[in-house]
Amino acid sequence: MSWNVTSNTAPWWRTLAFRLTAGYALAGLSLVFLATASLYLVLRTELDKSTDLFLADKLNVVRTILRERPQDWDGLKEEIELETAARRYQQFYIRLLDERETPLLTTPGMAEQLDLPLLASQLQTRSHHPFLIEGRHGQSFWVTSASAAVGSPAKRTDIIEIAIDVSQQEAFLAHYRRWFLATLLGSFAIFPLIGYQVARHGIRPVEQIANTARHISSTNLHERILPEGYPFEMASLADTFNKMLDRLEDSFERISRFSADIAHDLRTPVNNIRGEAEVALARARTVDEYRDVLGSCLEEAVRLSDLIGDLLFLAGAENPLTHLHRERVNVAEMLDGVRDYYEASAEDSGISLTTAAGAEPVIAELDRALMQRAVGNLVSNAVAHTPSGGSIMLATRLETGVEASTVKIEVSDTGGGIPPEALPKVFDRFYRVDTSRSQASGGTGLGLAIVQSIMLLHGGKAEITSQVGQGTRVTLRFPVSDPS
Amino acid sequence: MKILVIEDESKTARFLQKGLSEAGFTVDVAGDGLKGLHLARELAFDLLILDVMLPSLDGWQVLTRLREAGQRAPVLFLTARDAVRERVRGFELGGDDYLVKPFAFSELLARVRSLLRRAPPHQQEIIRMADLEIDLLRQRVTRAGQRLDLTAKEFLLLSLLAWRAGEVLSRSVIAKAVWDMNFDGDTNVVDVNVRRLRSKVDDPFPLKLIRTVRGAGYVLECNE
Repeated sequence: MSWNVTSNTAPWWRTLAFRLTAGYALAGLSLVFLATASLYLVLRTELDKSTDLFLADKLNVVRTILRERPQDWDGLKEEIELETAARRYQQFYIRLLDERETPLLTTPGMAEQLDLPLLASQLQTRSHHPFLIEGRHGQSFWVTSASAAVGSPAKRTDIIEIAIDVSQQEAFLAHYRRWFLATLLGSFAIFPLIGYQVARHGIRPVEQIANTARHISSTNLHERILPEGYPFEMASLADTFNKMLDRLEDSFERISRFSADIAHDLRTPVNNIRGEAEVALARARTVDEYRDVLGSCLEEAVRLSDLIGDLLFLAGAENPLTHLHRERVNVAEMLDGVRDYYEASAEDSGISLTTAAGAEPVIAELDRALMQRAVGNLVSNAVAHTPSGGSIMLATRLETGVEASTVKIEVSDTGGGIPPEALPKVFDRFYRVDTSRSQASGGTGLGLAIVQSIMLLHGGKAEITSQVGQGTRVTLRFPVSDPS
Repeated sequence: MKILVIEDESKTARFLQKGLSEAGFTVDVAGDGLKGLHLARELAFDLLILDVMLPSLDGWQVLTRLREAGQRAPVLFLTARDAVRERVRGFELGGDDYLVKPFAFSELLARVRSLLRRAPPHQQEIIRMADLEIDLLRQRVTRAGQRLDLTAKEFLLLSLLAWRAGEVLSRSVIAKAVWDMNFDGDTNVVDVNVRRLRSKVDDPFPLKLIRTVRGAGYVLECNE
């Protein structure tokens, strides 16, 4: 099972799946990290702030008592010794010292929890902002101190030291940090997995398309990717791919038919020559018999030469280096010439062959011999396919366009017409509406292909419209002069 | 008139020699470029028929060396490749010409005659053959004293056959000369026109002058 769509030789880090996975994982991890880290920071700030407020509040209470009721020793004692002792969580301790740093009141148990001389010295050296120190049993204390005026007006100034046990808060935060780390580690393991699954799922259609593409060859060009069940973008890709296969199959079919036709049309005359010569030489014959065989051989040889000439012409027309011998030609006069040439044939078949006189002369720069050949091929086809009593019309007109003028030549007949399914193929090499390829029903089937080639050489195009039973019209359009 | 054929394909050389001899030329054959060059230097020829692809020396080299040696005889190139046209034009030496294989022998004969400037004179005013008389100036044709009513193209066709009487004219040569059609397609049209001409020139008379040469074309001749 290979999900590696690029190829087996590509390094793993260049695969689409790896890139997608890495992208998803990175994005997911960043998100989790940012979310947890910001939550932690907010939590920590809020907890610290509430502790600060609590401390400030307590300091304020003690100060107020000292200032307003210096004589209320019981109230002070209750505030310092009892209030604090009643708390189980977030225990706090207060010590009241006089100016000579002699303790006046101390919350019971404070000396057990804290190294008091150390606390005093630290409080003296550090600022009045609360800070963290370690207790005797490893707990964390948030401590601060403040001076308080006793009585109003002040008789003396006492010092209040206050410490709050934030061990539980710290434990909570530590727990949070562990959980944060675990989440990160978990994400680190899970996100790449999810990312990989998503990427794989996403590129599976590509892989399937690639698989189909991989085993398509000339023998199974008919295979297609089923467009159902894919997300929209992939369905569009599959559809594009299928259309490409359609075109390939069509081209392939044309090429293989072309090869088959060329083989048929080359073999038949060669076979005739060979057979006739062989039979003729098998025993002695009269001079007339020999003459007849030789004549027939010559006919076949001419047929073969013509075919080779046509094929080479078509091959040469595809060569971009082929250049035309352009000259100024009066197209209407040229059509008259072609009409003259075919007039006798048409008349023999009972067909009227006419050229329509245009309103203005059409002068174009073109290769006269090639254009005669193109129009001649069309007229020849028309004569062959129009029944007695019909008519063939040659017409030319100058179409003035925005950039360049176009010469239009039309050859229309009242013949039997071409079935619509055959129309797109009539310009193909060797294509014949009659599939038997018998010599009697027409030429090699290269005539219209040559017409199209001549048009392409002139930078133009041949188009055909036909109605069965009504007739056929071929239109040649090409620029009035060399566009290059 | 002496013609040297330099051609390595023996069958081609053989039919060229035979055909040209029967047409009244003296023909020598060389099988490769060196022998050909040697012969051409030793003996004076009026025309060379030169295959382009030859062993030892190719046609171009033979021609170049001949020209260097001062030989001015015209050359008719034979080639199985289309790309020769431009190159022959590039030489522009003494009206050289070329033919692409496969070619019609009648076409070759016409080219040979044209290169040797032995084309039949066109200045004649009246051409006669047996009881046929063609007045080129007044565009009139009579046979056995009877005036024949021909169209302009029929007259042109008959004149062409008469000018080159005894010479087989291929359908494409006829199409080009009479209708100025420069392509080899659908030569059936020529047959139709020759048939019509015959119906006027030959059919009413016991002696037939226009003969069909199967696979090659038409010839006007008097076989009494």
